[in-house]
Amino acid sequence: MAALGARRLLRPGRRWLSETVPGAPSPPASPLYPPVVASITAKSKAAKSRRLQRFKQQVHAAPTVEEKLRLYGKLQRPKYMVYPQTFALNADRWYRSFTKTVLVPGMPPRAAAAKPPVAAAGTTAEGGRDPEPGAEGPEAAKTPEPAAGAAPYLDMDELRSLACDALLQESFYQNKKRPFLYRDQDHTPGPFLTQLVSTLAAFLSGRNPLLAASSLDLNPEVNYYWHHGEEVVVHGHRKGRVDPVRFQIDDNPHLQIRVPKQLPEVVPLESDLGDVPVIDHKPSKLPLFKKQYENKVFIGSKVADPCCYGHTQFHLLPDRLKRERFIRERLEDQIEVVYRSNGIASLFAWTAAQAMYQGFWSEADVTRPFVSQAVVTDGKYFAFFCYQLNTLALTAETIKNSPRKNICWGTDSKPLYDVVEDGNVKGFNDEVLLQLVRFLLNRPKEL
Amino acid sequence: LFPGVRQAQWLTKTKLVEGLPPAVQGILDNPAHGLQELEERAKHAVSHARLWDTAEVAPRREQYCPVLFENLIHICRLMSGKYPSLSKRMLARNCRIAATWERESILLQVRGLSGILMNSMTPIPPVASKEEILATKEHVLETFYPIAPTIDLQEVNVYKELNDTGQCFADGYPYSHPHTLFFLESANVRTDRFRPEQLRAKMLMFAFGNALAKARALHGNDPKVLEQPVVVQSIGTDGQLFQFMVFQLNTTDLVSNDGIKNLVWIDSDQNLYEKAQCVPEVKKRVVTKPAGIFGFQPDTFKKFLALYLHGTV
Repeated sequence: MAALGARRLLRPGRRWLSETVPGAPSPPASPLYPPVVASITAKSKAAKSRRLQRFKQQVHAAPTVEEKLRLYGKLQRPKYMVYPQTFALNADRWYRSFTKTVLVPGMPPRAAAAKPPVAAAGTTAEGGRDPEPGAEGPEAAKTPEPAAGAAPYLDMDELRSLACDALLQESFYQNKKRPFLYRDQDHTPGPFLTQLVSTLAAFLSGRNPLLAASSLDLNPEVNYYWHHGEEVVVHGHRKGRVDPVRFQIDDNPHLQIRVPKQLPEVVPLESDLGDVPVIDHKPSKLPLFKKQYENKVFIGSKVADPCCYGHTQFHLLPDRLKRERFIRERLEDQIEVVYRSNGIASLFAWTAAQAMYQGFWSEADVTRPFVSQAVVTDGKYFAFFCYQLNTLALTAETIKNSPRKNICWGTDSKPLYDVVEDGNVKGFNDEVLLQLVRFLLNRPKEL
Repeated sequence: LFPGVRQAQWLTKTKLVEGLPPAVQGILDNPAHGLQELEERAKHAVSHARLWDTAEVAPRREQYCPVLFENLIHICRLMSGKYPSLSKRMLARNCRIAATWERESILLQVRGLSGILMNSMTPIPPVASKEEILATKEHVLETFYPIAPTIDLQEVNVYKELNDTGQCFADGYPYSHPHTLFFLESANVRTDRFRPEQLRAKMLMFAFGNALAKARALHGNDPKVLEQPVVVQSIGTDGQLFQFMVFQLNTTDLVSNDGIKNLVWIDSDQNLYEKAQCVPEVKKRVVTKPAGIFGFQPDTFKKFLALYLHGTV
């Protein structure tokens, strides 16, 4: 009996075992339980990273650029206000570290074919050009012969007379009242710059079809907001948390030219032309101050504008940063710093905002470099800058993975003329004018 | 008090002709100038000024009126790639104008900031033919009896009879001929702006003042009939409505009521666009009007450009 019972017990056991081993039950088509991930609302590091992932996905999936910009700048917190025109000592080193920019002195080498030769009207135009490395120098510098591309001559006399006329009109011929206190820059150099740029752009528009389709803005607004690095919140109800360091640039160039097509890249995207300075101090030591307000990203007009790429900006230095003041306080080396910090900060804000208008942001880095130019002047001394934006990834996590650096080429400030007296401009400097004309003639290779 | 242009006509001894002069009309009709392609750019210029220029939702008139003007002038200036002699022009802002003249024993004077002035190296050739000028002899200026023609004018004791645009520019200025005056009514509040009729009167007075000062500088201070009439153009706008005016000064003899009169051609109340919608209008959850510019009139921009090109083309 017992053996029978044992066998009966065994048989179903054996049958049960024999059923399960060969035919393993197929797993159900969809998972039975939802995926096990961190919670969204808990006060834990995993929950914080999950919230960050959700935010990044939202921005990636935004349907339009305006929606992306709105989500990018939705959360308002205290941020450092970065002023491009600043009296802070050695501000250009600090700005380079905030924006991961390499400063290369001199102007970038350009392709020889894109250069129109200049008619040597008895001036020292050829001999006195900026030092330009590359094949361009020996080819077209010494002889005023037409280049292989049969580009027409640039008439230096005509350009010089245009520039001198603009200068004389503003400073000599037009009777104006005396300038208001500390408003010298609005009285003469401001209108002179406007006149000069508008007449030169109109004159050169026959040569450069990009200029013929351009849009000129007077006194536009350029804003950019970004994160770089990390810090611990010092006081307040969020004390002790690790936060990204937020920066905002609000800039008002005097004049800017926007174009519908992008300027060509100067060097390839991944080039490394130098080192980015590393500064161990907090940004507030510069001095830089924090404020909380709207996070704006703006290139000068809204996203719907067809002229959404930048060509050249013109900045006028205010009275409080004039050369005589620095010389009086025995800070002569800081004069160049003012020009450089203005160039780097303004151009970074402009190119980065242009990139954001195309849909790139710190998590979706740029796939092509954005190039823009700027001229910083105080009415007499001109400094030229060219900026190539290679990366927008400046936040603490993305900066580790990206070896790219932004590059800024810049010159020292040189005077355009010596003095204006009795209806004559004395000591006019042709190279500065030539460099300005070259800037305005810059265009993509197809055009 | 009542239509300002009629009063201004009496004060400046001018005969009014409706519409633009045939020379300008000829530039408009000439297809060689490529005015069609510029329509697209003009539309972009208007959209930029009215919709895209600011990070806020909608720019105010103080902002969009000058921006629209700058954009239109930029498009016009870029034509100098095609016509190199256009580069012989220079814009001057915040010019002060002063001119005095006598009108039937009343001493009149025009003074003040005359907006934006564009000067050129070469003068505009006279627009009316000799016969038309002589025909104005027959024209009788309308008087406003019993209202004195100097009503609503400020009476001021003048100690120095100032008389130049040379007051504005020193001698030897290469761009010595006033070409076009631009007036921008950009006050935000409607009561601070000039109404179209008053704007036209203001344009006429300032154009007359500039032409008179230039004529006196060229031919001396004696009142006489000019061999070479002086032509000054004028454009006024409030950001949407445009007023175009071409003024020809035929005589500086303004004391008497007869004789040759001056001529003015006025094209008034030209709309550049009907409406600029910054935010789409939504009624009951349905978009009735999308954002954009409605009712764009390319003719107004063509007239602007034609007045700009007049004199060099």
